[in-house]
Amino acid sequence: MPVISANGLLKRYGALVAVDGISFSVETGEIFGMLGPNGAGKTTTMEMLEGLREPDEGSATVLGSDVVREARAIKTRIGVQLQATALPPLTRVREAIDLFGALFPTARPTDDMLREFDLESKATTYATELSGGQMQRLSIALALVNDPDVVFLDEPTTGLDPQARLNIWDVIEDVRRRGKTVVLTTHNMEEAERLCSRIAVIDHGRIVALGTPASLIAAHAPGTTIEFDAPHGVDEEAIAKIEGVDKVSVDGRVAVSTRTPERVLRELLDPDAHWLRRGDDGHIAGIRDLRVRQGTLEDVFIALTGRSLRT
Amino acid sequence: MRAFRALTVNTVRAGLRNRIALFFTLGLAVLFMVIFGELFGGSNFSVTYGVVDHDGSTQSQQFVAALRSIKGVTVNTGTRAAEIDDLRNNHVDVVVEIPHGFGAALTTPGAPGVSVVPIQASQTSSTASIADQILGHVLSGFAARGAAPPVTLATPVSSSVNNVTAIDYFLPAMLAYIILQSGINYVAIGLADLRARRVLRRFRATPLRPAQILGAQIAAGALTVILQLIVLTAIGLLFFQAKTYGSWFVAAVPMLLGVAAFVGIGFLLTSAARTSESARGLSTFVAFPMMFLSGVFFPITTLPGWLQTTVHVLPLTWLTDALHRVMNDGVGLDAIALDCLVLAGWAVVTFAIATWRFRWD
Repeated sequence: MPVISANGLLKRYGALVAVDGISFSVETGEIFGMLGPNGAGKTTTMEMLEGLREPDEGSATVLGSDVVREARAIKTRIGVQLQATALPPLTRVREAIDLFGALFPTARPTDDMLREFDLESKATTYATELSGGQMQRLSIALALVNDPDVVFLDEPTTGLDPQARLNIWDVIEDVRRRGKTVVLTTHNMEEAERLCSRIAVIDHGRIVALGTPASLIAAHAPGTTIEFDAPHGVDEEAIAKIEGVDKVSVDGRVAVSTRTPERVLRELLDPDAHWLRRGDDGHIAGIRDLRVRQGTLEDVFIALTGRSLRT
Repeated sequence: MRAFRALTVNTVRAGLRNRIALFFTLGLAVLFMVIFGELFGGSNFSVTYGVVDHDGSTQSQQFVAALRSIKGVTVNTGTRAAEIDDLRNNHVDVVVEIPHGFGAALTTPGAPGVSVVPIQASQTSSTASIADQILGHVLSGFAARGAAPPVTLATPVSSSVNNVTAIDYFLPAMLAYIILQSGINYVAIGLADLRARRVLRRFRATPLRPAQILGAQIAAGALTVILQLIVLTAIGLLFFQAKTYGSWFVAAVPMLLGVAAFVGIGFLLTSAARTSESARGLSTFVAFPMMFLSGVFFPITTLPGWLQTTVHVLPLTWLTDALHRVMNDGVGLDAIALDCLVLAGWAVVTFAIATWRFRWD
């Protein structure tokens, strides 16, 4: 039986349909990612699963319990980290863990949590004085204090510097290794690709694609992209005629999409390349800063929505 | 219950760590006691009354004697013209006219009521206001006994009334001030902040019931005020040598009802405000006029007549009155029953509306 099962969840805010009929299921031990831009409906979907908002239509179960009728039962068995870290004011790290532990029927010892999340040296610091990464570790520790079966993390690394982000990724992978199911939202494709076993790509309140990162890329951004600079410019049409080239775009850098990168690269690197424009002195300047990359989730998102994730 | 207690304790602790809130409640109350204690208190304090006795009865003479027996009070007697002249020349601070029928009103059942008229050079001077308070207390002692004749003037109540000093007057006033400010600072602003910063939502993601979350915040607000009341009373009694006359058990009744009423008002302000900024604004708008109009800093009798009627709607007026009557005049619960009823009414109504209108985000 799936740990989470959502069936046609729909939520309106006035005239705005924030979540427009979302269905999916999550199995035990997965890290399930919801990837999409801000305002796509990721947080609202998550809050309906956490029992914080009632869906206007549709239904969902978490750990076999209905999210509306059995919200309290669910809340004892899940861990929640909200998007903007929300802690009571003037509370020290140890006090915060003690407090949240006391809110559940059973809780793990505070000392264990401090050790696991590398917060021992900060135990008597006010939570508001922690660095972004430490604060996020505390926030995840609070979500795990009741030893939950499912953990919901809403944008766990947004606003963190790269090093703190890597640290949180390790923390999340560690949570999964201990047999917990993790559901997270992100608009960082690298994070989704690195952590998630499966991803739901969400846009305008709908799931536009769902699958493993590899299957999504294979289905929606299958090619390889060859990128380079050409000092004197290129003959775009000539490149398009090279066998195996699917698409060419020249936007500062030249980007060539293909599913047969070996053959196309051989043509592009030909020293007598007819597609490369010559300089005023009649010489070929050659190509510079060549880069070959596989499709990413960013490409998947652009292919599915016509927009970039970052905007 | 364990969860409720943990949440309450955490909120009380955070409240007591909040230095700004602490300054505006306990800190300012102590500061006011120091300032007013210095202004009016101890050996520095002196008021000269010019009494014009139109009645000439035993009661009126005993009233003058009661006034005269207060430390720092000087009483001159004379004709109206002479006393008014002294007032103009600043030889007396207040002229007091005792009308005909003063003695009769106190001793004869059914006799027409009379009022004693204080005439002051300036309504705004601090000496005039303290003179007014003293006069009020002395008179209220007489009026209370007049209500149940036959009476003698030498009851213990009169001696207690007689000895009210400035600091004795300001201790109950400052207790009322703390109840007002704390209800606002710890509940209205505190709760609105928790809501704005999504802390309430975070608590809702735990198995706590919504009523437990709100209840703990409100209980914490009330506990924080009660702790401050205890501390301020201790400071007043130990460091300022304030004297109180009524029973503390009696005084606790309007205090606790006042805490309920002002915590209720704080809760209502949170429900009325959308953001924590508007909660702050609304709080100031509600607290400041009440603070100055409800008899905390100067007696209501110095206000113009129409305003005196208006301020009787405000709960702080009743709270201040009840605390003065118990702690300064030493009256029992029956004498402040109306005050207590009004405060209880405010508590019930504000909680009902606030609970009905409360939004979680």
